[in-house]
Amino acid sequence: MNFELIIDILPAFGHAALVTLQASILAIVIGAAAGFMLNALAQIYPTTFGIFYRGFVWLIRGTPFLAQLFVIYFGLPQFGITLDAMQATVIGLGIYGAAYFAEIFRAAWQSIPNGQIEAGRAFGLGRRQILRHIEAPQAIRLAVPMLTNQAILILKESSVASIITVPELTMTAGTIVAETFSYAEPYLLLGLIYWLLALAFAGLGHGSEHWLGRRQTH
Amino acid sequence: MLPTSIPMISLRGVSKSYGANRVLFDFDLDVERGEVVSLIGPSGSGKTTALRCMNFLEEYDAGEIRIRGALLGYRVDHDGRRKRESERSIAEVRAPVAMVFQQFNLWPHMRVIDNVTAPLILAKGLPQASARTRGLEALDRVGMAHKADAYPAQLSGGQQQRIGIARALAVAPEVMLLDEPTSALDPELVDEVLEVIQSLARDGMTMVMVTHEMSFAAKVSSRVVFMEAGRIVESGPPQQLFTAPATDRLRSFLRTWFERSHAAATPVGAIHSLPSPV
Repeated sequence: MNFELIIDILPAFGHAALVTLQASILAIVIGAAAGFMLNALAQIYPTTFGIFYRGFVWLIRGTPFLAQLFVIYFGLPQFGITLDAMQATVIGLGIYGAAYFAEIFRAAWQSIPNGQIEAGRAFGLGRRQILRHIEAPQAIRLAVPMLTNQAILILKESSVASIITVPELTMTAGTIVAETFSYAEPYLLLGLIYWLLALAFAGLGHGSEHWLGRRQTH
Repeated sequence: MLPTSIPMISLRGVSKSYGANRVLFDFDLDVERGEVVSLIGPSGSGKTTALRCMNFLEEYDAGEIRIRGALLGYRVDHDGRRKRESERSIAEVRAPVAMVFQQFNLWPHMRVIDNVTAPLILAKGLPQASARTRGLEALDRVGMAHKADAYPAQLSGGQQQRIGIARALAVAPEVMLLDEPTSALDPELVDEVLEVIQSLARDGMTMVMVTHEMSFAAKVSSRVVFMEAGRIVESGPPQQLFTAPATDRLRSFLRTWFERSHAAATPVGAIHSLPSPV
């Protein structure tokens, strides 16, 4: 193991880690917000919006992220929409994540006993008030462990952006390998950094679980 | 009661089916202000469905349900066809009605006080402070004011059901619907809930209750309605129903209940000599 090489390539990895984090966090925020909205709309308008919802989830979940990214990055310019590699990655990962996040929220929603919603209706709460004051607070808390999981998956999925030349971790590792002809150090370092980032995400998730659930025993 | 007064709740020819399974047949019932009406009968007789129809938690297929004269759930268009009303106007018609559920149906993520004030703040638009005052009064009424800051899961079943009753009281209802309010409770927790219900009855609260607690029904009801297979078999004051049932069906229902709860076979007429649960 060449430690001198590791020291040499660390700054480049540090910079690339920021790019990976930026793309992942933006995509997670977009994906979680869009996923929450998608599920909420599907709950409020099960017939009209439900069809769109199921179609969207079916399409996104059934195709590889790489194919989706190619459509956005290489396909959209044909229709006059040109995005740079980073924009395409954030939007692509955001859409990809939205389908999974939406399904996570849907599952969490379904685990709330129907009697609680009936009580809301019986006491004159509107559909939206029930959603906001009864379902959402409980569903979000129930969803946190799965949301954390999905956030980590998106972090790792962002490595696909290396193929369309986003200078994130995976692409940086590849470049260094091509320049130094050393494989072990850059790729081990690459894995280590993803692992550390995933660890940080898991820690954040665990912290919010604790924070959201600290007063209820339920 | 003036003869011209409008019943609190009035059901006329109400029918309801789940698919091919008809659960209510041409059901008629008037509940006058101040009455305590108990619906009794075997499981599957339609008592809970009838009760749930009274605040439109179940849609009914035919007939009319009126709350203080206002048609619940539907409007009749000029072509004579009935259309489902909007959620908002359904909520308006059912506003005088409050419900107590078998499974309590409290909101576990809210403190006790918030469970009781949420309907006041969200549905009635009361400011936080006055909602809290009313909520605490309602909790005090059921002896639970000291648990205002607890979460439902920290309380016993009986305490949770008393919170359920307080939530219903807080909206100052004109009629309360109670769906088997003690059926989900451990036997030793039943009495505290029945005591609360009895004190509401004494105060003149109009109530419709589905119950399996026969002695309790005999004690608090002004009228008992015995149902089977979606129809009313017999109804009248509890003395009459429990001591001199007119139909064989009710007689055998009471005998079964009596034998099951007291092992020894005693004539149904002796029901009032039983130790009462309250």
